[in-house]
Amino acid sequence: MDFYLGLLQIMGVHTLLGLSAYVVLLTGQVSLAQAGFMAIGAYVAAMLTVLSGWPLIAALIAGALVAGFMACLVGFPALRVHGLMLVVATLAFTEIVRLFFFNFDYQIARGSIRVGPLGGEGFRQIRYFPENGWTTLHVAIFIWSVVALVMAALWWMDRSRAGAVLRAVGEDEIAAQSCGINLTAVKVSAMTAGGAIAGLAGGIYAHYTTHIEQTNFTIMVATFAIAYPILGGLSSIFGTVAAVVFIQGFLIEGLRFLGDWRNLLFGALIVLVMNIRPSGLLDARTMATLRRLFGRREG
Amino acid sequence: MTITRLIASSAVAAIVTAGTSFSVNAQEREVKLSGFGAMSGVVRSFGINSKAALEAAADEVNKAGGVKLGDGTKGKLVIEYFDDRCNAEEGISVARRMASSATLVGIGPTCSNVAEPLFGILQKKVGDAGDSGLQFPVFTDVAIKVGLAKISDWAFRNVPDEGAMYRALFQWIKKTQPDLKTVFGGVEEDFAHSRATWYAVMKEVAAKEGFEVKGEAKWLLADTNFTNQAREARRAAADIIAISAHPFTTCGMLKEMGRQGVKPKLVIGLTSSSSLETLQGCSAEAEAIIIPTSFAPVTPEAQAAAERAAKFNGSLDLHSGAAYENIAILKSVIESEGVMAKPDTVQADRAKIRNGLAKLTETKGLIGVSKRTPDREAVKPFLFVHAKSGKWEVLHTPTN
Repeated sequence: MDFYLGLLQIMGVHTLLGLSAYVVLLTGQVSLAQAGFMAIGAYVAAMLTVLSGWPLIAALIAGALVAGFMACLVGFPALRVHGLMLVVATLAFTEIVRLFFFNFDYQIARGSIRVGPLGGEGFRQIRYFPENGWTTLHVAIFIWSVVALVMAALWWMDRSRAGAVLRAVGEDEIAAQSCGINLTAVKVSAMTAGGAIAGLAGGIYAHYTTHIEQTNFTIMVATFAIAYPILGGLSSIFGTVAAVVFIQGFLIEGLRFLGDWRNLLFGALIVLVMNIRPSGLLDARTMATLRRLFGRREG
Repeated sequence: MTITRLIASSAVAAIVTAGTSFSVNAQEREVKLSGFGAMSGVVRSFGINSKAALEAAADEVNKAGGVKLGDGTKGKLVIEYFDDRCNAEEGISVARRMASSATLVGIGPTCSNVAEPLFGILQKKVGDAGDSGLQFPVFTDVAIKVGLAKISDWAFRNVPDEGAMYRALFQWIKKTQPDLKTVFGGVEEDFAHSRATWYAVMKEVAAKEGFEVKGEAKWLLADTNFTNQAREARRAAADIIAISAHPFTTCGMLKEMGRQGVKPKLVIGLTSSSSLETLQGCSAEAEAIIIPTSFAPVTPEAQAAAERAAKFNGSLDLHSGAAYENIAILKSVIESEGVMAKPDTVQADRAKIRNGLAKLTETKGLIGVSKRTPDREAVKPFLFVHAKSGKWEVLHTPTN
């Protein structure tokens, strides 16, 4: 049981990571900066609980706010570039953040040991959960409560005017602008919201793994972040969840028994799924079918 | 034979067979031990070799009659091995999977960046009711970064003490080659072990022993181009080049040094590079490199163990040699602590094994006796090997 609860924790954090990219993708921007925002959230939240003794929730919120603020700063210059250039620019940001933490030392003495980030050797002993008696079940429930809150907020946004505006910008920027939509405000807002969600994911990640280092926030994490919503489909937030379950639950954990073959199958199965479901696991048609099944008509 | 008699005799046969198998099971229970490490990626050879060593050692124990359990019955060691891809999240997931099963001990991981978070999710102080960390013993064979076992009372390691090894090596160099005065480092920066070994061990020890450290060239685990680093090494013109990197980039650096004509008087390598991979990757360029190691087939036990591991498609080196030793150590702990290996005693058995491991003050290894420290680390015997004509040869055996 502990194993499945642990797996739920991993899926929860990856769902947040995927949702952070989902918001940005709605505006038609492809960002590889999510790993950088995640790293910022992870280090800020961990430093606040370990070094300053903050309660977890306050530390997570602070981590998300700092990551969101950084995303807002990145959003403005990133607006000047589009498409592949934006991908390169955001990738560069992730690398800058990773290298910053690679060289970032800030340790304080606690009794006979020193705690805090120590450059390339990482930041250990982020043991808020076990030290406060949180069981695996408690942690899983907490993580999925946060995921549920974020999903509810995004679901509400998606159904509001804000969601329509984001999608309009994503579909056709010029048409959206001609309708009076402020592209700068929309894109920067999406980047900020995405950054804050990624920061939240990072804060939780730091606390359930108990140790973070710069290698946890590489281009591979950024790639996963955008892979989840793309593979799951942008029609609904539930597509991201479906993709996380497929990748983390099936490809990584479910196929672990295959050993080396798992890595070969990993890529092949993703390509296969994308060919079978080019618009994502839960595309607009599937979502409409599901809505009909659950007794709701398309609006 | 009528249908009725056929059915009746089949039923009797089935009952007898079931009874026999129950009797066999009752007399020989399974003692499940799980290994885990990198079976894929750049450092996959470590996982492959550890898996082979664990299977070879367990096979040897089982052939010799298995392990004696607490109630006098015999137990058969069963090994399963999980790939964690040298990834922290996957390592934690694998640990939770093992802890959720009948596995009594986890043996691994390969990478220190997996060991650190993994030890972090274990209960820090044994018996601390306020700490909800996993109560699952882990007996590490490979992850070698200095001082990790102190993270949790449930973490044990059978890895060499690199501080002692390199101190002895630099002292020996100072004594036998007094004309060598300067050291330049080469460090694989993004790998926890190699980075820590250069900055916290090699560099410090060299300076303490009176060598002038002329700086270091840095690269990453996945790097394939070492032009600048070799140029830096040439510019430093040091007597000794100490490379703190794994076989893949050690070979890359050595090849580039050869291409640029960088010829130090002595090259020192990282403990983990005293493996077959280095010789397979750059035998000619690695000629004469000196590495301290805790394994070489210098005793009959070590030779026999290496042969057995080879039958399981693995190569025994200082890391997989430790995996092999771990099985022998665990066998003696299981027997001395009266482990039962029953489905309803799993957690109690884990606690017994933890306590048994914590009690050890020394263990018998493949090349000699290792001491156990209060913080659950090993002080293993070691020797210096050098690459000669495509083989590792013992150069010197310090009195350690």
